Amino acid sequence: MHVRALSLSLLVAIPVTVGAAQSWKNTAPESFKANAQITNDVGGAASVVAIQIDKYTSDDAHGALVKALKDQGNDAFLQALHQAPAIGSVKIGARSVPVRWARERREGDGRRIAIVTDGALFFAGAGAVDAKPTTGFDVAVLEFTIDSVGLGKGTMAGAARVKAGGATGIEIEDYAGKRITLVSVTRTIS
Amino acid sequence: MKREIALTTVGLLLIAALHPALGGASAQSKKKKDAGAEVFNATAKVGTATAGGDARVSIEIDSYTPERDLQAMEQALKTGGSEAFLAALRRAPAAGRLRAGDKEFTIRWARARPAASGRVISLVTDSPVYFVGAGVPGAKSRTGFDVAVILLTMDPAGVGQGTLAAAAKVKPGGASGVEVEDYASEPVKLVSVFKVIS
Repeated sequence: MHVRALSLSLLVAIPVTVGAAQSWKNTAPESFKANAQITNDVGGAASVVAIQIDKYTSDDAHGALVKALKDQGNDAFLQALHQAPAIGSVKIGARSVPVRWARERREGDGRRIAIVTDGALFFAGAGAVDAKPTTGFDVAVLEFTIDSVGLGKGTMAGAARVKAGGATGIEIEDYAGKRITLVSVTRTIS
Repeated sequence: MKREIALTTVGLLLIAALHPALGGASAQSKKKKDAGAEVFNATAKVGTATAGGDARVSIEIDSYTPERDLQAMEQALKTGGSEAFLAALRRAPAAGRLRAGDKEFTIRWARARPAASGRVISLVTDSPVYFVGAGVPGAKSRTGFDVAVILLTMDPAGVGQGTLAAAAKVKPGGASGVEVEDYASEPVKLVSVFKVIS
């Protein structure tokens, strides 16, 4: 199993786009449901994911997190993340983890939403006899699109390490080495 | 999050399959055609109300374990517990292998016995295959779950079903003297099991 580095566009694309999103009719508080799926050549796994976002991270709070990561690295980022207020939750099965960072950006007639949780949700592949250590993969990262009707798709790193680097300056290292697909994302009407 | 160790239905079923008093005569002495090499393909499935997974596995049996070796392992379990059983298991000759993708696990216990609807086949690998549930943060320790236990119920046509304790601990205890403790809290089912006709 190898680790794959992913870029998370919303971590680096900041305030300008958010202004447009905030004027969009759908925004927090809101909740979503999705089917998470991961497959390989032997088989696959699937689970229902419930996402609650009470509010999106402000520009100031977002800027502080990005600065901590870029200036001081992963440990400082984690510290700042853990100190941020809980603004929602992501739930898989019986496990619920607070959301500490959430951003939205308008795309076409819909939005792109990214979420970072306070802790890892699931270490995909950790049950293998030769699985690598889980240490250092301290958050989960979700990114999905949602259209104006409330339907979308995306990806999830159930356990990830956010670090400075790469072309964008920020990389998401996924424990699984392969992204979990979020299919049938639906915005819940309450 | 710690989960309770569960003695699953796999373990309960295996009490009958592994225990000599309940096992009856081995199939290799009764059904000559099943004594040699055979291959089974199956789909392993595990799931709860909100999550599930499956994987394709192949079970290749080169030959069933001789009765004297089975008895040696049973005696080791009875007198020396899990550690002695594990040591005896690992001394036993390879009887076949379980394949999942590019991973291969050696089977060192292979017993078949006749049943009302065909055969019951019990298999034990000399290492765990997969720790189901270990991906949850705070999952329990893997220590002591050193084997995998497979139980197949096959009909005369070569079609069947079964269970897989993908990481298990074989220990003395219970009414029959043999217990299988499964690392997973949800048993893995083997479905669409069929004997490969070569």
